[in-house]
Amino acid sequence: MPSVLQTGVEVVRTPQRPPQDERTSQVEDSELARLAATGDGDAFGILVERYGAPARRVARAILGMDEDADDAVQDGFIAAWRGIARYDPTRPFRPWLTRIVANAALDLGRKRKVRHTVAIPEHAASGTIRPDRATDHSLFRERLRLALEELPERQRIAVALFDAEGYSHAEVAEVLKVPEGTVRSYVFHARRALRRALGAFKEDAP
Amino acid sequence: MTEQSPFANDRDQSLGVELRAALDTADTDAFIGRLKTAVANAGAETSWDVLAAWAPRGLVAAVAAAGLIWLIDLPSAPQAPTALMASAPIQIEVAPSLPEAVVITVAVMEGR
Repeated sequence: MPSVLQTGVEVVRTPQRPPQDERTSQVEDSELARLAATGDGDAFGILVERYGAPARRVARAILGMDEDADDAVQDGFIAAWRGIARYDPTRPFRPWLTRIVANAALDLGRKRKVRHTVAIPEHAASGTIRPDRATDHSLFRERLRLALEELPERQRIAVALFDAEGYSHAEVAEVLKVPEGTVRSYVFHARRALRRALGAFKEDAP
Repeated sequence: MTEQSPFANDRDQSLGVELRAALDTADTDAFIGRLKTAVANAGAETSWDVLAAWAPRGLVAAVAAAGLIWLIDLPSAPQAPTALMASAPIQIEVAPSLPEAVVITVAVMEGR
């Protein structure tokens, strides 16, 4: 399957976070949530370690690379911790948590009317000057962030959850409270918009 | 580059890698540390906390409701209690007997 990013830019794999302690990584989310519901802060702490970074990416997909995104993640996790007793352990934990964080980010976005803007470097925006390989990738990612911010909110969330975080269509649908078909449409349109926005890099690539 | 079908189930792995990289920053570990501290400081909320949070508002609402009920009831309150009086039977005044004969005779003779 061809990628949206078959643009000639060599994909650089970012180092993954080191694996968690074996003992904690083997404990199921639902079991940790059950312990957290009894007041076990350490159990919830493991869930924070496990999902803090993905939640931050989701919040950033909604609010942009802004401190507001961190505030939204914090609000979301605190709300999840306080409402952990309402979590149904028979259902997956990750979409439940993500929905809370995404809602916190959406609420914050509405309250503060945040529209994050990043000045587009001239050479990146023009697409006529090809930077050297060392800066090529950072420019590419900057362009990707900008293209992401230009997408409608729900498309941003859908593509970030599906392609970046590995959620299924059904899980994204649960987070967004829309039918699965709508999620497919969001992802399709988001990819197409990103492909168009990043097209200049393909043309520039050797 | 060809368009993907909207019905495709496949994940775009390369896009996923790039999106994660674009949305991540180097301070993730420090952020997780701050997040854990914030959550620990927030503490879990028990049902008593929820009730306590509602208590002042609940108290005000109860007082307001009691006041409203008292105001509605006010007009009838000062009335002294009255004994239920049995209503007197309605009597139709009907002459118990016919007029005497002399009264009728005098009336006829006088042409009344």
